[in-house]
Amino acid sequence: MSKYTEEDLEQELKTKEYEYGFYTDIESETFAKGLNEDVVRAISKKKNEPQWMTDWRIEAFRVWEKMEEPDWANVKYPKPDFQGIAYYSAPKQKPKLNSLDEVDPDLLETFKKLGISLEEQKRLANVAVDIVIDSVSVATTFKKTLGEKGIIFMPISEAIQEHPELVRKHLGTVVPTSDNFYAALNSAVFSDGSFCYIPKGVKCPMELSTYFRINEGGTGQFERTLVVADKGSYVSYLEGCTAPSRDENQLHAAVVELIALDDAEIKYSTVQNWYPGDADGKGGVFNFVTKRGICETNAKISWTQVETGSAVTWKYPSCILKGNNSVGEFYSIAVTNHHQQADTGTKMIHLGKNTKSTIISKGISAGKSQNSYRGLVHVGARAENARNFSQCDSLLMGNACGAHTFPYIEAKNKSAQIEHEATTSKIGEDQLFYCNQRGIDTEKAIALIVNGFSKEVLNKLPMEFAVEAQKLLEISLEGSVG
Amino acid sequence: MLKINNLHASIDDKSILKGLNIEVKAGEIHAIMGPNGAGKSTLANIIAGKEEYEVTDGIIELDGEDISELAPEERAHNGVFLSFQYPVEIPGVSVTNFIKTAINETRKAKGLEDMPAKDMLKMIREKSELLEIDRKFLSRSLNEGFSGGEKKRNEIFQMAMLEPKLAILDETDSGLDIDALRIVANGVNKLKSKDNAVIVITHYQRLLDYIVPDFVHVLHDGKIVKTGDASLALELEAKGYDWIKKELV
Amino acid sequence: MTKVKMELKEKIVASYVAFENDVDINSEIHDIRTEAFQNFEKLGFPTKKLEAWKYTSLNSVLKNDFSIFPNKENAIEFADVKKYFIHDIDTYKVVFIDGKYSSFLSDTTHDGKDVCLMSSALSKPKYKSVIKKYFNKIAKQDNLTSLNTAFTNEGAYIYIPKNVEVEKPIQIINFTTGNDVATMIQPRNLVVVEENAHVQIIERHQSLTDNAVLTNSVTEIFSAKNATVDYYKIQNDKDNASLVDNTFIEQKTNSVVSVHTFSFGGNITRNNLNFYQRGEHIDSILKGITIIEGKQHVDHHTLVHHIEPNCESHQDYKGIFDARSTGVFNGKVIVEKEAQKTNAYQQNNNVLVSDKATINAKPQLEIFADDVKCSHGCTIGQLDEDALFYMQQRGIPKKEGKALLMYAFANTVLESVKIPEVKQRINKLIATKLGVHIGFDL
Repeated sequence: MSKYTEEDLEQELKTKEYEYGFYTDIESETFAKGLNEDVVRAISKKKNEPQWMTDWRIEAFRVWEKMEEPDWANVKYPKPDFQGIAYYSAPKQKPKLNSLDEVDPDLLETFKKLGISLEEQKRLANVAVDIVIDSVSVATTFKKTLGEKGIIFMPISEAIQEHPELVRKHLGTVVPTSDNFYAALNSAVFSDGSFCYIPKGVKCPMELSTYFRINEGGTGQFERTLVVADKGSYVSYLEGCTAPSRDENQLHAAVVELIALDDAEIKYSTVQNWYPGDADGKGGVFNFVTKRGICETNAKISWTQVETGSAVTWKYPSCILKGNNSVGEFYSIAVTNHHQQADTGTKMIHLGKNTKSTIISKGISAGKSQNSYRGLVHVGARAENARNFSQCDSLLMGNACGAHTFPYIEAKNKSAQIEHEATTSKIGEDQLFYCNQRGIDTEKAIALIVNGFSKEVLNKLPMEFAVEAQKLLEISLEGSVG
Repeated sequence: MLKINNLHASIDDKSILKGLNIEVKAGEIHAIMGPNGAGKSTLANIIAGKEEYEVTDGIIELDGEDISELAPEERAHNGVFLSFQYPVEIPGVSVTNFIKTAINETRKAKGLEDMPAKDMLKMIREKSELLEIDRKFLSRSLNEGFSGGEKKRNEIFQMAMLEPKLAILDETDSGLDIDALRIVANGVNKLKSKDNAVIVITHYQRLLDYIVPDFVHVLHDGKIVKTGDASLALELEAKGYDWIKKELV
Repeated sequence: MTKVKMELKEKIVASYVAFENDVDINSEIHDIRTEAFQNFEKLGFPTKKLEAWKYTSLNSVLKNDFSIFPNKENAIEFADVKKYFIHDIDTYKVVFIDGKYSSFLSDTTHDGKDVCLMSSALSKPKYKSVIKKYFNKIAKQDNLTSLNTAFTNEGAYIYIPKNVEVEKPIQIINFTTGNDVATMIQPRNLVVVEENAHVQIIERHQSLTDNAVLTNSVTEIFSAKNATVDYYKIQNDKDNASLVDNTFIEQKTNSVVSVHTFSFGGNITRNNLNFYQRGEHIDSILKGITIIEGKQHVDHHTLVHHIEPNCESHQDYKGIFDARSTGVFNGKVIVEKEAQKTNAYQQNNNVLVSDKATINAKPQLEIFADDVKCSHGCTIGQLDEDALFYMQQRGIPKKEGKALLMYAFANTVLESVKIPEVKQRINKLIATKLGVHIGFDL
């Protein structure tokens, strides 16, 4: 009797190639490898930055030098050689682009392969895209439309030139330079990223989107994103990531800071599909990211992430619920396969009164991968009536992987209500047979069941991303190109 | 349509079916009755192709073709439908999404395009009305938190959507109250045509008041020991299975 | 602070030579002691930098100038301490005063089983094979367990042979008199329950003084095939008595071991409870009720290691925290790759009664097998205000209403207590703790 077994699936997965693993031959300008104060200064100079920015970087570098790489996460990997990485790589072309026509044709081809046709995006007219390749922002669309509303959406390097007062006021206020090893490193060497400012009372009319890509070999990507939603404003922000297949490990150490002032709302969605390494665990991106948002009174920050890529992920998008009645949300799907390792989760820091947080985490482990949820719910002594609900579900496929949950719960206020639930399960033989009986083959059935398992999170993604995310889930787990 | 000859099957080396014969023609309704543990559900699962059972001897033919080497989904594509005694729950997958996938996968196997959304919706509307299913019910997760009656009604709804050649109803009456039983039976009767066939597996006679069989088979110890018309079911109900057992001695 | 700690450590290190003079250095376990001592010397006392001690600091306790050995033998009258015994039923008793055996208060046996002393088990030839097979075989090599192993001298030794059902419970009680300014004791218990045998044990650490006490206890329990062990830990000590209780349990096929921990008092109480399942169809039960106030601190640190298939574990911990008290729950479940069909449940529910109380919880799952059912739940909340109002409306005063609700909250844990007198005693303790006297039904 022919049967599509989990072993068959595993076999297929082994031969499955990383779909986005092409390398674009774009002429680029790359700094020599290594890091010291001069390199930091050189990056700053290259970008023609004001003195305060240079000083800020140097300060961060000095802090970083004294720090040690953290090792508490449930991941094992060869520690990157920080002197073996080039800290600046940019596509060699005119520094500023005025329209899409000026974009390098090879680059446009890259975007097409990524599935983002800028032309198409333009027609749809509901997503503004900023594209960061190897640390440098290369194209921002819809600048004009957004400008009419007073919305600033541009590469952070440009924002430093054009809106220094805004950048200077907010940069590093949520994630200080000394926050952690990778954040300090990022602060010292970040070369670009996105900056977004939504003025008071403005509802951003379209999704803002950044696509990140590591192209050049031997480089690290250190982008910096800063989103400021002024009082009563709203923005939905999307972020996508890919990288070419390379035998070596590439380092990605980004920092994202979100600031939601009174009554503002920021929705931040990520589909992370960095190259995960091959079936034997060779190569792949080390994804060490610090993401944090701060909510003032009545503000809301919602993180949604679909994590399917990277060899090693170390990422905890967090919310500091500083203002009264503020709300933090974290919805996550993390899929690991082959030798991937993910240690991801969130921190919800309740400081204000009547603050609420929700955590929904879905981990799917296959192959020889390790998938960990690590989260903190902290209720401070003055956070009256804080509420948290957390749910962490794990799905295991095969018997060579691991699923782990490390929730930390700290309550210092008696009015706190905290609920945490976690379950672990597998796809049942009876579920597969039921689907088979209705004419659905095993591969499709697994996709269906995994999608069902992830539904609560997928539902939180903006439409454009939900489709892509579902496709990614299928690709990462099933070997069937959706 | 279905022809089973000298079927022997076992699970974990325990022999369950011991030379079973049955032939079902298009347009017929067969009832298979028997005491607990006689092998009724095993037969249903083997026809559907469940892995755990090992067929040690005999043949299963559908329209003259041996199906015993086919995967469960391939049998489904060929028109075999099993209404499960205990339908499984699939969290997060809605009834609509599930049935849409099932139909399109079956169409794909036959080399057809996906069913246009408009037709799908129309069909869902018609069939759900037939089974008196609330539309809201269709957006719920498959079988999750369904009552016994809802699960069975959902099975027959899927049967209506998939339009199988051969439907096997495994203890469809268990867990149904009298109203639900009537609705389910009514649905089955409306779906019945001269081109398809139904096998009703049941422990009790009551479902057969609503779905009247052309043949009644009594399964005992892995074999069909007695075959008759609808009146046999009534006789069984009156005399109990011990009567059959005694008769065999 | 660090300097102070070094002092106690140095004092202990210096005392080890004196300790060795007191015990038989030709003993079988001399090498084990020495190795453990070197381990402690290397590791020192745990600090908050260790993940396992993130939420519990011993600094305030370690400042005390502990005497490592009690200077003299102290006697106490039974009448003075009767209340600390489960005295309304017949039991075996192994009682220690300041770490020394009290034959006067004890009631041991060698009749078809051994309920006696660790010191004799370690020295007499007839126990040699059991000691060799079991002693220090599952105790972790961490700081405080190593310290205990290094100073192993006295404690309870319980050996239940095959098919023996012990007819009455065994009580293990450690009293401290506080004749020294600050006393540190290191009780060491070994419990071996052979195939198909059954035993019930009640353990208590009780200070009779307001002087500081630090008890660093280690208990190893081996449960062979089909054996049943019910272990009850009653912790209701004085405000200046701290306890680090390290319990290690190894279970074989079809055995059932339950440990109930009732923490109602003491200064800092740290319970390290570790289960290792080496066999199939094992059931491990870990339950606890914590009701504390003042500046008390109770930390439950549990580990259930599912190593083989078809086993279960059930954890249920309830906590009620008043005043400036702190509760910690760190529950870890590991399911190894081979441990298919594991069912592991963990529940931890807490109520904060006061604004100054703190709860830190860390329920962890580490799962390497795919066909398992594992779940954990953790809640922090308050008493149901609607239920409280409902009771008030029916004439039950708020205070009693609260007690009733808290009692109901903790009740699930009491259900599995198999000795009626223990259940009764815990009921009374809960009522006292909650400061009300209403007739709780059993």
